[in-house]
Amino acid sequence: MFIVDDILFQPFISILDAIHTLAVTEMYDIEAIQNELKENQLLYELGERDEAEYAQRKAELEAELETAELAHEQLDDKNIQIRQ
Amino acid sequence: MSDALYVYGVIESEDLDVEIDGVNGADRAYTVGYQSLSAVVSDIDTVEPERSDENVKRHDEVLQTILEHDGGRTIVPMSFGMGFKNQRTLKNVLRNARPVFSRTLREIDGMVELGLKVLTKEDADVDPEEIGAEADDRFDRISVNVVENELFSDRLVINRSYLVERADREAFNEAVGEFEDAHEELLVQYTGPWAPYNFVDIEITAQR
Repeated sequence: MFIVDDILFQPFISILDAIHTLAVTEMYDIEAIQNELKENQLLYELGERDEAEYAQRKAELEAELETAELAHEQLDDKNIQIRQ
Repeated sequence: MSDALYVYGVIESEDLDVEIDGVNGADRAYTVGYQSLSAVVSDIDTVEPERSDENVKRHDEVLQTILEHDGGRTIVPMSFGMGFKNQRTLKNVLRNARPVFSRTLREIDGMVELGLKVLTKEDADVDPEEIGAEADDRFDRISVNVVENELFSDRLVINRSYLVERADREAFNEAVGEFEDAHEELLVQYTGPWAPYNFVDIEITAQR
């Protein structure tokens, strides 16, 4: 359950900003991507994923992580906090 | 030329000099002594090496090599990134932290860390609690301590680090083998021996 009421009372922060912040937080979950990277590594080490599958997934996840970190940095610059 | 030193861990006083790939391209690891302690170090060109996959791997490999080298020894591992400006700053830290290092060396004397990760095979239906309890029965009696690590995947049912006496390693290996044989529905990753990272908690915040 997130609380947006007090955000809306803050000056200069629009409902669009608040919605955007929530969307970024949901879409770019850094911890979830890092966990998938660890899982990919483990499945490769255990032989369930071959080298090509592993390398492709790793590249995809690293790109996602970079995008997510960038999105979070931009949010930090705006200094909008969402309580959940 | 930099006088900086990168520290991997601390052992009881001993002269070692090993050719090995170390952090930031170092090609040897050797010891710097202070009274009853020796720090295992490499020469390095910065006190803040980059935390790259390669560097982290080399940090682990040096620790593992020193742990097993020439009959093996007890090592208190440092976390990644411990660069010191020169021998003098390192020896200052060893002097100030000597009681803590000495006590920790006694506490983990003759012990190694072993890692156990257990995953379900794709689409296998298992009861994680049951598997966990079985692992308790099989491994607790031949280990000194255990730490539960993060379950970072839905398929991970066990992610543990065990602290085991060197003398019990063979028995632990056999117990893991029997566990694996009894569970076709599971994938088992058994790693080590590692320096006991998960059972040592020393943070150096002094001037480095």
